[in-house]
Amino acid sequence: MSADNGHVLRIEQLVAGYGDTPVIRGVDVEVPAGKLVVVVGPNGAGKSTLLKAILGLVNITGGEVMLDGRPITRSPLEDLARNGVGYVPQGDAVFDSMRVRENLEMGGYLLDKALRAERLEQALELFPDLRHKLKRYVGTMSGGERRMTAVARAMMLAPRVLLLDEPTAGLSAALTKMVLTEQARMLADRGTAVLLVEQKAHAALEQADWAYVLVQGEVAMSAPGREVLEDPDMGEVFLGGGSGLLADAEPAG
Amino acid sequence: MRLFIETIGFGIFSGSLISLGAVGFTVQFAISNVLNVAYGAFITLGAYFGYWLVNDAHLNFWLTVPIVAIAIGALSVAFNRLLPRPLLRRGASFVAILIGTVWAGITLQYTIVSIVGPSTFTYALGNGKTIDLWDFVLTNTQLIIIGGTALLMLGYHGLLTRTQLGQAMRATSVNPVVARSCGIRIDRITDVAWLISGMLCGATGVVLAGTVSTFDSTLGTTFLVYMIAAAVLGGIGQPYGAMIGGLVVGLTTQLTAAYLSPAYEDVAAFVILVVMLLAWPRGLFGSAAAAGRRLVG
Repeated sequence: MSADNGHVLRIEQLVAGYGDTPVIRGVDVEVPAGKLVVVVGPNGAGKSTLLKAILGLVNITGGEVMLDGRPITRSPLEDLARNGVGYVPQGDAVFDSMRVRENLEMGGYLLDKALRAERLEQALELFPDLRHKLKRYVGTMSGGERRMTAVARAMMLAPRVLLLDEPTAGLSAALTKMVLTEQARMLADRGTAVLLVEQKAHAALEQADWAYVLVQGEVAMSAPGREVLEDPDMGEVFLGGGSGLLADAEPAG
Repeated sequence: MRLFIETIGFGIFSGSLISLGAVGFTVQFAISNVLNVAYGAFITLGAYFGYWLVNDAHLNFWLTVPIVAIAIGALSVAFNRLLPRPLLRRGASFVAILIGTVWAGITLQYTIVSIVGPSTFTYALGNGKTIDLWDFVLTNTQLIIIGGTALLMLGYHGLLTRTQLGQAMRATSVNPVVARSCGIRIDRITDVAWLISGMLCGATGVVLAGTVSTFDSTLGTTFLVYMIAAAVLGGIGQPYGAMIGGLVVGLTTQLTAAYLSPAYEDVAAFVILVVMLLAWPRGLFGSAAAAGRRLVG
């Protein structure tokens, strides 16, 4: 465990956005090792912007991002990868025109050949379904398989913290549950600090060790996932934002 | 029949030249998402640099090819660092960068004219020995160029598929953000891409100027139409598409010249370009994987 009170990733009073307009306004987030921390909130609350701010992809005008107690604010993405920050962006986080094996090898771009082979084997142990699909072009695979490839790719560098931006977007209810339990939850249980931004609040909160509810760029609530789920005010927050907290709880077939 | 076979032979030669240039052109687009119209003017620059080396410095023609390739490759990297990359960083749109390269191309072309003057030039290499194989009548020079291009294309294929650098180039071309999140320094990858592209551009300039009877400062810009037609035909950004596209454009334009009129040669390239843009803008090889995903997912 690090000197930073056990938190792998800590965000302090972060102010960030596009140009001079802040979307994130003074946000504090802590992600300990081995925990699944989710950020939920209505559309436009700034969830994805928060992740992009951590990764130096948007303009930061205040606050700090700390990794293991060291400041990494505004570090370029490629340096963050070297320092143990894994990232799976929203949507197509894969190399479509490349094979599954090549996607994983690119994930291990920074490693020497022997370690890359070792990590590839570990990734296949985490996601055994990929083992027989190594030669498949990712562009021809299903949504669930593509997400799996994206997460497996990000795990090749054995990141200290893994940032997942809406990994269930566009997936069915069954696949959503699979991604959250068999990917996000499983990786946290194996020791990675996982920060998950999710639109499907109900499903994500069920799995979360800790949750932050982001409303208009500020943290409206910070509590264990279950507590947020049961908080009567939170339904209001999401309904007010046009997206009911329980909207994704119904089986969608 | 003899005319047909001869035309096919010359079409393959002409096509291999177009492929050589078109691959370079398409690489820039694939890695940087920049449609660099100044590429034509760089071909012209390569042609004149080669002319100077052959006619004034009395260097062997084949020796000038790698020298010019390296020189134009280095210039190409510098050009990208000076214009497209800073524009991209400032969030300039695709069209704004395109206009920037048009400006750069025109400036370069007229700078060349102001130095060399408006007259035409020739390398005066002579044709060398002619080889007649089943009515395929080609000169030694042409055969060497066809073979050399084929070897270069094979080498490029090997680079893309067998090396980590090539994989990283493909990864950067498909998804730059994810590539960065893998720790790939994409600025270095784009430098390599513009180097390779510039080298192919320089080589094309020399062999093109060395095999036409005469050339002037419009050499590269005229040839640009053929290369763009080839790149679009194969799916812009697709190196293998540009290789095949180059051959198809070469054969089509030569058949047009032989059976209709040499005056229609450029028109044929334009027709291919327009028809592809209207009917099949993705090109023959355009993102087959993406198409596959639509079918599956």
